[in-house]
Parts: sequence; structure tokens; C-alpha cells
Amino acid sequence: MKQQLSAFIDGEIVPNEAPHLITAVKAGGEVKQAWSDYHLIGDVMRGDQVLNTDLTSRIMLALESEPTILVPNLQEVVNNQSLEFPELGSITNKVSMKKTNESHSSYSNRLWSIAASVAAVFFVGVMTLQQYMQEDTLAPVQIAQELPEEYLAAHQFAAPSSAAYYIQNASFTEQGR
Amino acid sequence: MKCAISLRAKYLSIFISVTFGFSAFCMIGVATAAEDPWLVLQKTAYAARELGYQGVFVYQNGKETRSVQITHMKKDGLEVARNVILDNSIKSGQAREVFSQGSDIVIFNPKKEKMVIEKRRGQNMFPAMFPTDFQLIKASYNAKLGPLENVAGRQAQVVELIPNDALRYSYKIWADIEYGILLKVTLLNVNQETLEQIEFNQLSMMKSQDANWFQPTIDVTKHYEMEEEPTAQRVTKEWELEKLPSGYRKIDHVERIMPGKTVAINQMIFSDGIASVSLFIEPLTKGMRPKTGHKLVGSTNICANVIDGYQIVVVGEVPAATVMQIAKAVRFKKQTELH
Repeated sequence: MKQQLSAFIDGEIVPNEAPHLITAVKAGGEVKQAWSDYHLIGDVMRGDQVLNTDLTSRIMLALESEPTILVPNLQEVVNNQSLEFPELGSITNKVSMKKTNESHSSYSNRLWSIAASVAAVFFVGVMTLQQYMQEDTLAPVQIAQELPEEYLAAHQFAAPSSAAYYIQNASFTEQGR
Repeated sequence: MKCAISLRAKYLSIFISVTFGFSAFCMIGVATAAEDPWLVLQKTAYAARELGYQGVFVYQNGKETRSVQITHMKKDGLEVARNVILDNSIKSGQAREVFSQGSDIVIFNPKKEKMVIEKRRGQNMFPAMFPTDFQLIKASYNAKLGPLENVAGRQAQVVELIPNDALRYSYKIWADIEYGILLKVTLLNVNQETLEQIEFNQLSMMKSQDANWFQPTIDVTKHYEMEEEPTAQRVTKEWELEKLPSGYRKIDHVERIMPGKTVAINQMIFSDGIASVSLFIEPLTKGMRPKTGHKLVGSTNICANVIDGYQIVVVGEVPAATVMQIAKAVRFKKQTELH
């Protein structure tokens, strides 16, 4: 099914030859997920807008659109349209909303900090500054004992002619995921 | 490998038509050894960017080794490349794939049940390690022509880049005498010990203009998503750099969020044209353990210290003296108010 879906997105299968695919996408679940995954891959490879949209604006957009949807939700709209598919943009929004919902506490913390920074950037800034000025800092740690891998990775990503990206430590890339 | 004369002639004509300035040393001849080592190096810079080729290279840094399969071509005036990181520890079909188009890089990074799509900007990736402009490099290094040697079954001209001072390492470069491509490069310290090495194991030129390979291997079992781009508050203070090590210029300044951090970190990148150093400046926040000291990892020197409540970390494929000098150059301007 997913193979066929990929071919359908690539235009190798025409819509009227694939009513079962359209039905499956509309039914939601795994196939719908694959539908948005494949579109995301296609967009990324073409260098489309999705690349330039940062998560914040997507979340803010999603939040903004939230209260205005008093009428049928996206799913129902999709069901009511015969062969028309929602624009990718709306899917992307939905995906980011979904991520917001299903992610763990770290994500909601981050969302909270976004809201806070919008509301009172200056205030938060001052608070943070006071915090670390008042607190006694912990005893320094020698980097010889504890390698700061996050800096190493950040350097490798940004530095010109660095081939070190290829050996990037797997444990670093797993952090915060 | 498939080195038909006609193919070579074709690539030569591409050189001449695409890069006018480069044509001067094309005429010197590809097969005859160039007299000027700088021309050999400059040719590697153009060849890597203009030609179509595929191969496998091995990257070694300290104890770490990776094989990378590269496919590169110039299509419609834009460089397109796919790098697949071949690693014995990962199952086939789960390899990290890096696609670049011009300076845009898209990485498909398998992580457990999902595939995370990361977006980066990049340049000067192997074998296009050298910039096309050598002015900065020439100020800090001398180039010396070496013997002819074999790499990946191809004949290569050896060139040595010897630094003028102790603030950078030296490089040994093997350039394909036929196509000009960089076949191998080693980074050497003052004792001539190899710190880092990249070498083609196999390389062949591509005749075809077909770019069907420029698409990711889709893993139907994985869910694809864009890398999260966390946001954070900015707490920055004015600073200045008193004296940079000679030959190094600031080439970039970015603000980035490290995993698990909530405050944006400033990263400044310095380069002497080939070696590069990152300087990180971030405020020490509550619960954060300050880092100090120095460590060498493979070819990379890392040095950390704390100035005025700020964590300073300097990282670079350069000698320890260079990272330390940059770390000491940071001065915070006296101020009481936040911007």
C-alpha cells in the first residue's frame, strides 16, 4: 500500500486508477501518516517552504487557527470533499499540532517558554540574569573528565571543510529527542 | 577509472566553459604535472565542484572511522551530491543520508522508530575541501610540491601545505593528476603525526547527467518528521575579541540552541582559509556546571573557561595554543542593563 502511495504522490499512478489509495488516506491512520510523510520528504528534497518555516511560527499559526475553527474540523472537511485533498500547508500544521499533543513534558515546557517569551521577553531575561547572579555556581567540571560533546557537534556542523560530521557521536544526536 | 579520452576532453571543456578563470591552468594540461603547487590545490577546488563522480571515501579522526559513499554532479549549474554514511553498526537501509544542493543540506537521520529530517547550511565538504579563493590560505601557509604517488589505483600529485607558525597544523594533499580531484588529505601535527585523514578507496567519473540517485531511500516502517527547532530566550551581553591568532578571520556568527538548553548560545567561527575554530559564549545559568580545562580529541582541541559569569568554549581542528588564545581574547564590555 505504502509503495503504491509513494508512486501515486510521484505521479506514476493517476488519481482515477487509485480510488483505494484515496479512500485509505481519508480513512486516516497509518496510510494518512505515510501520505504526509511522503509529502514532507518531497517538499524537503525540492527545498520548498517547509524548510524555511520554523516550528514556532507553525505552532503559533496552529494556535491562532484553533479558536476560529467553530465549523467542521479538518478531518470532516476532508471527508466532505470528494477527490480534493487538503493543501500540504494544512497537513503540516496538523502534523505540528499532533506533535505538540503526543510529545512529552519537555515539549509542553518548551511551548510554555515560547508563550512566556512572547509575553514578557524582557521580564524573563531579567529574571534569568538575576537568577544566575545570585546563585552560587556549582563547582567547575574539567572537560578532560566530561567531554562537552554538544559543542563538538555544533562546531562540526558549522565549520567549513569539516568532515567530522560523519563521525558525529550517536549519543549526542539522541539527546533531547 | 572509466577514463576514456573523450570523457576527459568533455570535462575539460566543462571546466573551460564554466569557470573562465580556471581555464588558464586547464591549458597547462591535466596529465602533465603542474609546476605551481597552488595551481594543483586550486584545481582540486574546482574539480570537486564541477565534475560528476562517485566513490567511497574513508574518514579517520582519532579512533573513529567512517566510510562514506559519495555521488556528485553539477546539474543545471547547481551542485548536487548525496553522501551515504556506511557504518557497520547500522543495518542497511538505516544509513544516514546527506543530500546537498548548492549550500543547502538535508540530512535523513534514522533515530529508533522515526526518521528525523535535518536542515543545514554547508560548504567545502570533502572532496571540495579547499575554497576557490586561496588568498587567506596563502597568508598562513607555504605550498610545496611532492612526489607522484598512488591513491585508490590512481596517480596523484602530492602537495604539502606547511604553516608559517605554530597556530595551525600542516596538510598533505594527494590530487588526481588526470581530473584534479582531491584523492586524499592528511592533517599532521608538528611531529608529523597524522591526526586526521580522508581518503578515497574507490573513485569513478560519471558520464551520465541522470540524477535519479538524488532521492532518499524511503524506509516505510519509519515516520518522517522535521527536526525540532527549539526556541529560547536571548540573554546576551556585549563582548569583544581583543586579539585573534594571526591569520584567523571571523567568517560566521550564529545563535544556536544546544540540546537540553534554554538559552541561546552565540557561536562565532574563525578560519584561516582551511582550518576552523568555533567560539561559544553562553551565560552560566542556575544549575549549570561551569566547564574548564583543555582536551584533545583526535585532531580537535577543546578549551573551556569562565569569564564574568559566562561560559566560554573554544573548539577547533587546530593546535591547543590557537584555541587557548581565542578563549583568552574574549572581553565583556562593562554594562549594567540588558538590551
